[in-house]
Amino acid sequence: MDVVIRAAIAFAFIFFLTRVVGRRELSSMEPFDLIMLIVLGDLVQQGVTQSDYSVTGLVLAAGTIALMQVLVSYVNFRFKRARIVLEGEPIVLVEDGRVLLRNLHRERLTRGELEEQARLSQIDSLANVRWAVLENNGQISFIPKQ
Amino acid sequence: MADQPDGILLKRHRDLQGRDWHPWVRRGLVALLALVTLLALLGFVGQHPSTTRAEATAAALDVNAPGSVRGGLLYQARFTIAAHQDLKDATLILSSEWIDGLTVNTIEPGPLNEGSRNGDLVLELGHIAGGDKYVLYMDYQVNPTTVGSRTLKVELLDGDQPVTSLTRTQRIWP
Repeated sequence: MDVVIRAAIAFAFIFFLTRVVGRRELSSMEPFDLIMLIVLGDLVQQGVTQSDYSVTGLVLAAGTIALMQVLVSYVNFRFKRARIVLEGEPIVLVEDGRVLLRNLHRERLTRGELEEQARLSQIDSLANVRWAVLENNGQISFIPKQ
Repeated sequence: MADQPDGILLKRHRDLQGRDWHPWVRRGLVALLALVTLLALLGFVGQHPSTTRAEATAAALDVNAPGSVRGGLLYQARFTIAAHQDLKDATLILSSEWIDGLTVNTIEPGPLNEGSRNGDLVLELGHIAGGDKYVLYMDYQVNPTTVGSRTLKVELLDGDQPVTSLTRTQRIWP
């Protein structure tokens, strides 16, 4: 029973962390972020299974996490208000070539980071961007001017 | 002004109407995380040891152990008996909470005899001369399923005669 409770708590805590840390931090995958992700996974595993090496423990822990994921997914699908809390909402960063600094700062983003993301999307200047939107998954989508 | 993409509401997603308070929620949650970390640094969730002392005419008993421990972690309890007078048959009686839900890895030095009295653990230590000090170490590991708060009692006897006793509280975090 305890492994199910620990897995559920671990899921809830990781979900909480992802909402608190912020979208951009989680979506970037620099070498340091990759290492931190592995370290975090290892810490979570130790807290969930502890000294349980059994297949039963594995099935219970993985099953609980999968069930929690399905539950969150269903709540997201079913309730719009919950979706805003669980997933967040998009934020417009650039409109018609004009950078919305207030929105940028709110997500702890610099103009340099925005320009870097634009270059990665084959856009040479933010002046050529019609819309840039920070999506719920932390990616920035660019819609160039025609 | 360019037409916005599908799914984007300008008031909500550009002007952030009704979303001014959202960053404060995030800041509050970050502060909560920081508070938990601070409490951990202050030893609130283990395993900083503390000493409890019981003084009597015949002897003093010190128990040094963490007041908070966590599942799976190793820790040590140290019992120090400072005999002011001869204790012919020093005996420590530990309440069941000293053992229940915990794994005792070792007791050093090994007592002359061990027994059970109404569920309590009886450790017969033998003769301790007046002015001598006897130190008993118990090394533990917390069983992962054990959680909660408990009261730990220790009694020091000389034969059947109570010498002194003390109680401690131990909190076990999951």
